[in-house]
Amino acid sequence: MGSGNNQVGQSAPPAHLSVRGVHKRFGGVHALRGVDFEVGRGEVMALVGDNGAGKSTLMKVLAGAYVADDGQFFLDGANVSVSSPNDAADLGIQIVYQDLALCENLDVAANLSLGSEPVKPGWTFLPRILRPLDDLEMEVKAKVAFDKLEVRTLQSVRAKVGGLSGGQRQAIAIARAVGADSTVVMLDEPTAALGVTQTRQVLEVVKRLRETDHAVVYISHNMRDIFEVADRICVLRHGGNVATYQRSETTADEIVVAMTRGLANEASDAA
Amino acid sequence: MQREGGHYLLDRFRSMRETSIGSFVPVLLALAAIWIWFGLALPLWDLASGEAESFRAIFLSPRNIYNLFMQSALIATLAAGITIVLLLGEIDLSAAATAGVCAALLGVMVLAGVPGWLACLIVMAIGIVMGAAQGLLVAYVGIPSFVVTLAGLLGYQGLMQKILPTGNLNVGDPFVRGFTRVLIPDLWGLALGILCILLFAHASLRKQARRRALGLEAEPSLALWAQVLAFGAIVISVILTLNAYRSLPLLLVLLVGITALLGWVTTSTPFGRSLFAVGGNAESARRAGFNVNRIRVAAFGIVGLMAAIGGIFGASRFGSVSYTAFAGGSLLLEAIGAAVIGGTSLFGGRGSVWNAILGALVIGSLGNGLDLTGASAADKLMVSGAILVLAVAIDALSRSDGGATH
Repeated sequence: MGSGNNQVGQSAPPAHLSVRGVHKRFGGVHALRGVDFEVGRGEVMALVGDNGAGKSTLMKVLAGAYVADDGQFFLDGANVSVSSPNDAADLGIQIVYQDLALCENLDVAANLSLGSEPVKPGWTFLPRILRPLDDLEMEVKAKVAFDKLEVRTLQSVRAKVGGLSGGQRQAIAIARAVGADSTVVMLDEPTAALGVTQTRQVLEVVKRLRETDHAVVYISHNMRDIFEVADRICVLRHGGNVATYQRSETTADEIVVAMTRGLANEASDAA
Repeated sequence: MQREGGHYLLDRFRSMRETSIGSFVPVLLALAAIWIWFGLALPLWDLASGEAESFRAIFLSPRNIYNLFMQSALIATLAAGITIVLLLGEIDLSAAATAGVCAALLGVMVLAGVPGWLACLIVMAIGIVMGAAQGLLVAYVGIPSFVVTLAGLLGYQGLMQKILPTGNLNVGDPFVRGFTRVLIPDLWGLALGILCILLFAHASLRKQARRRALGLEAEPSLALWAQVLAFGAIVISVILTLNAYRSLPLLLVLLVGITALLGWVTTSTPFGRSLFAVGGNAESARRAGFNVNRIRVAAFGIVGLMAAIGGIFGASRFGSVSYTAFAGGSLLLEAIGAAVIGGTSLFGGRGSVWNAILGALVIGSLGNGLDLTGASAADKLMVSGAILVLAVAIDALSRSDGGATH
């Protein structure tokens, strides 16, 4: 391969996470056919493609939810293996699924610490699951996370998630992913169900992730959002790379054409 | 947050329900309404219509309050246990039958000469096994809890009849009977109550101080002291009322202690948090790293334990074990009703064991009050049904999504 990266400019930051030649088959379906993908720190890499292009499969491979049949993973140039979600989490790769996976009956702070609740020191005679929770530490953690992301729309970390807007929930899910000492954050259609104002709030958070030196993978169908936040745009088609574009050097029309028809002169390569 | 205009009162009501203290308000109001009706309104009505020569406050007499608490204790124990599985969004229909089996085994064992304390420990272990076995079927075989525990209800009812062929067995063991017979001396009871109030005040104040120190939003001091005062007033008046008749019975101290432990586990430990998380969104909980199946089994084990304790309390209070008092009677529906009236959602993720205790008091007060007014069994059933529907309707209206179920 390699031909897919021919339009990457000189300003591309060094890759933090990169994969080479990823193959994934589901029975007879060849979902990923040797995909290359990379994302650098402090960069928002958009991942686009038509339905069935392999975006979600690639993202799940990166998150360890699927195991690739073939392909190499590099983190800061070192060869690593990702074969389970825990592997990915240990490497600092976090994913925010489209359904956000929040518990609406719990408050914001509890959702941010879900699964890794801080407990008070001492009480070592009890198993960890029965030690007293440190609620206040939980709230402090939540406040720090939101300050870092400059989320100002949340009035209280003690509010139940069930009463919050879609944009606020997205911010909570992103803050949870960031809070786990992650360096790579993958967002799956974060603005799909949101109105204009809510979308704006989420895009602000995504920009803030770039400023805090995270590597952001941003999956979306919405060209306006992509052109607002992405630095580079990776186009997939039929499970293979079409090309990776610098946002400043391309247009929405060019991306749409690449998504739907591939590059005219490389159509055979993409297939 | 961010709600504009519209149903201001309803919103206020909903946001009040969200707070830890506020969730008690509806069930306390229901309790107050029932007590005023039976304790003040009906006697005054009798007085005015000339049916009685003097004001007869039978319902609110210390003697009746004492009996009311003792009658409600068994329902409350089971309701607190059932709350644990309701939090998960599951249900346990077999709790009363489990209590029956445990009580029957207890009776048989003490009759055979097993020491009372040992027999109690054994039936508690058996209760855990009976509950956890159902939990295993729910979690790992994937049968809906309604079906598993319905089968458990039938099977355990049969088992109880096998253990007690005559359907009745007297329990005279002094240790078992002691739970209800032992009374805490008046002064000790008061001291215990004051200790509880001081602990409550200390914990509240310390938490508030830490919140301030960490720069977190803290409750205003006025609200805090109002809570401490209300808590203190309730504790002291209950103890004084009980002292006025006999004294604080050991059974109630144990019930409050067990509920406090269960309440602490559900609200203040990672395990408790996992109960709420699974009840709110099981898939999220699984992705967050909780072992959902193990949590389900543990929750059913806890219901089994509480059912066994309920069985012991029941055997202690009645001095006998009978089929109708446990498995065959209305105990199960009263316990589930108590949990729901207390404000625990049948859809999972919301509720508290303390509310279940108050719900049990509501159910107990209704039964007791209707008995005193000479209502028939038919009237009691119909009123209980109406109250249950009313409670669930309030629950549905106060849910923040406006009553839509999942």
